[in-house]
Amino acid sequence: MTHVPLGAFIAVSAMLFFIGCAGVLMRRNAVVILMCVELMLNAANLALVAFSRRLPAADERGSVFVTFVFVIAAAEVAVGLAIVLAAYRNRPSVDVDEARAMRG
Amino acid sequence: MFDLIEPIVFVLLSVALVGAGAAVVLLRRITSGALLMAFTFLCIAGMFVLLGAETIAAFQVLIYVGAITVLILYGVMFTPQSPRSYPLFFQRQTPLAAVFVALIAVPVVFIALSFRDGGPPASGGGDLVPLATSLFGPFAFPFEVASVLLLAAMIGAIALVKREDPLDDEFGEERL
Amino acid sequence: MNLVDLVWLIPAFPLAAFLVNGIFGRRWLGKATGPIASAAVAASAVLALGVFSQVAGGHAQTVVPLYEWIGVADFRVDVAALVDPLSATMLVVVTVVSLLVHVYSIGYMAHDHGLHRFFTWLPLFVFAMLVLVLADNYLLMFVGWEGVGLCSYLLIGFWFERPEPQGAAKKAFVMNRIGDWGFMIGMITTFLLFGTLNFTEVFERVGIAQQGVLTLICLAFFLGATGKSAQLPLYSWLPDAMEGPSPVSALIHAATMVTAGVYLVARSTPLFAAAGPALQVVGAVGALTAIFAATIALVQFDIKRVMAYSTVSQLGYMFLALGVGAPIAAMFHLFTHAFFKALLFLGSGSVIHGIDDVQDMRRMGGLRSKMPITYWTMVIAGGALAAIPPLAGFWSKDEILATAFLNGHTLLWLVGLVTGALTAFYVTRAIWLTFHGEPRDRHLFDHAHESPRIMTIPLLVLAVGSVLAGFVGVPPESGFIHRFLGPVTEAAGRATEQAPAVTSIIALAALSVVASVVGILIGLSMYARHHPDPAAVARAAGPYYRVLVNKYYVDELYDRRFVGLANAFAGASWAFDIHIIDGIVNRLGSLFGILGSGLRRAQTGLVGNYALSIVAGLLAVMIAYGGYAAGVFGR
Repeated sequence: MTHVPLGAFIAVSAMLFFIGCAGVLMRRNAVVILMCVELMLNAANLALVAFSRRLPAADERGSVFVTFVFVIAAAEVAVGLAIVLAAYRNRPSVDVDEARAMRG
Repeated sequence: MFDLIEPIVFVLLSVALVGAGAAVVLLRRITSGALLMAFTFLCIAGMFVLLGAETIAAFQVLIYVGAITVLILYGVMFTPQSPRSYPLFFQRQTPLAAVFVALIAVPVVFIALSFRDGGPPASGGGDLVPLATSLFGPFAFPFEVASVLLLAAMIGAIALVKREDPLDDEFGEERL
Repeated sequence: MNLVDLVWLIPAFPLAAFLVNGIFGRRWLGKATGPIASAAVAASAVLALGVFSQVAGGHAQTVVPLYEWIGVADFRVDVAALVDPLSATMLVVVTVVSLLVHVYSIGYMAHDHGLHRFFTWLPLFVFAMLVLVLADNYLLMFVGWEGVGLCSYLLIGFWFERPEPQGAAKKAFVMNRIGDWGFMIGMITTFLLFGTLNFTEVFERVGIAQQGVLTLICLAFFLGATGKSAQLPLYSWLPDAMEGPSPVSALIHAATMVTAGVYLVARSTPLFAAAGPALQVVGAVGALTAIFAATIALVQFDIKRVMAYSTVSQLGYMFLALGVGAPIAAMFHLFTHAFFKALLFLGSGSVIHGIDDVQDMRRMGGLRSKMPITYWTMVIAGGALAAIPPLAGFWSKDEILATAFLNGHTLLWLVGLVTGALTAFYVTRAIWLTFHGEPRDRHLFDHAHESPRIMTIPLLVLAVGSVLAGFVGVPPESGFIHRFLGPVTEAAGRATEQAPAVTSIIALAALSVVASVVGILIGLSMYARHHPDPAAVARAAGPYYRVLVNKYYVDELYDRRFVGLANAFAGASWAFDIHIIDGIVNRLGSLFGILGSGLRRAQTGLVGNYALSIVAGLLAVMIAYGGYAAGVFGR
């Protein structure tokens, strides 16, 4: 049985991460940005699980962290969406470029 | 022939994953984006199975493909997706962002490829037992704290979305 | 029980009263502040009397340390009380007079809406004065010195709604500051010369100093004393200080605070004794001030101003005594003067209180029948001031004059003698104008009334003091006070005067009594019989009279010379501040304003830009890490 090397998993994880990163930087819709953040989190999860399974020294700790990332991601999405909705209620737009109250 | 099943599955999953991810970023229609995102999550779950982490994969399906996708879809539903009069991408910073991300991504991916396995792969048995011993052993306290975090997030989300106007209470509840 | 070890309690009681009245006075205590303050000062007075009797009973000079205040390398200053006959005497004077004035004030200030404020500052003053008296080093003394100055300022300006008290308070403060400057110069030079500020240590080391430097130190301290004790040239704040309430005038500007300068010089006797010329300056300034102020007092019509100039004049006597080498006589006069001058002020206050706050003697007259107690106590005090035997003032003033004559300062003696006659004249005039003759203002006369008992009882006590206080100095040169205070000045290595012949003492005493009697008789003849008529005398004296009425134009002179100069300097400083200092600061400020408005552009408010900057930071870290790994920056 041929094993896929660890490096391949990490490379895929990195690619997904930077795709998400580019999305966060380029898109203007707040909901899409949230989605891209989820992609980045998933990429990180993938890397964690890969290290955890393939490096015996990691002693499965990576999986534990992934569990916590799930929790945090769930919380983040819930709060993030709540913020988007609250902002939308105040100003009928989800375009982050129009939220410029912090402009100096 | 069976020897190659794992690499083949991996390549298929990778291509699907990267493609779907790129589509999330590039597609203008937000509903398609959300669904493609769910698909990406599913691919990641497949990756977990490949890595022998069946429990995490199950969580992934439950939480991401299930809960978070639904939440995001609700978000999409409640915000207007008006036709845009301006181009999707070409804000002023977009080229700069692309350059920066590419500059970081290329070396990182190459460095990533250089990682080698640290020893013989774990011999089956899945990850449930080690995960459970860790979570309820040394990580018991952070685990409990995580539940408090979830509670706080839930209350926070309710507080943020709750309407002040009593007349609109029904709508507020509906949104939650 | 050894009361001397508890001496720190004496200032502690008034301090406690100050804190209690200051914190709770306005809201809760109200009228109760007066009794609280009085009780605290009474406790101090009892304890002070106990300490005094122990010291009189032969308790050796003691330093009661509280704690080390400053201890830097060689510089060591303790908060410690020096208990010796000198400070014990002052303790008694300060606490007893303060107690009487506190009690009197309960009546005098009863209808004032700032009552709680009054009974906050008054105990604070007592505390500061006791610190000044008990200090065992110049620095701690300076703390008390400044404290009494502050309280003086606050209490002169007590009725700050009116402009005059405000101005008087500021004047007093500024003039005192000039004196304080002298005190500080003296203190710094003392430290540089002797390496310590402790009284005992400084006096032990007097021998090592050159006379020139010592004279400088003494003159600097004396400048401080002239400020606090209202001597020439810094006297003019004291008459204006009469804008404060009468009890304040009695306590601070007659009996206690203004004697701080005398106390300072008496305390520093070893220094002054070693610096010959300084003593002569002290004596000359004292004599000059005495006659100068007495002449002004001749023609004033404000009853409190007469008393104020009289105080300046009597303080001049004390400095005269110090100058002719008789610190005991100076302290003796300080002691007696505290009683009769406090009484004169409280009596004046009682009169003013009884006739609707009028101070002009031209509107009084005939008040004797309306205010018998005030009248008779004032007469006793006036007699003491005019040095009529056997009242208190006679013994002390006569001793000053006798010592001056016997120590060979004939000119100073003569000045003192003339001043004595003038004093007798103006006090006669003041009492006559106030209490005798026809009432000149019917309306005021009809509404006049004797003060309540809480005010007259202190008057009576002080009257008893004014009669008896002199007997601590009887017989002359070997009375109780001489034996008591003798060690202090002898320890300084001053040659004790050889006992003079009794006949010469009696002759000198007789001369000064004659001078006083002449003064009184002239006063009576002018004001009771109009022979010669005062108005006619004033017309005949013409320009001289005007000079006196205008107080030698000293205020105008100061105004033109010093205030004008100070204003010009202040104007120049202001211009410098506005154009140069502020200019630099404003330029600097606008520089950062420009920088900021440049940086402001970075804050676009676009979340995407912020996210991009995070990524840019990540890129920078990666480049740095890569460079480090490649050894670009060296290892």
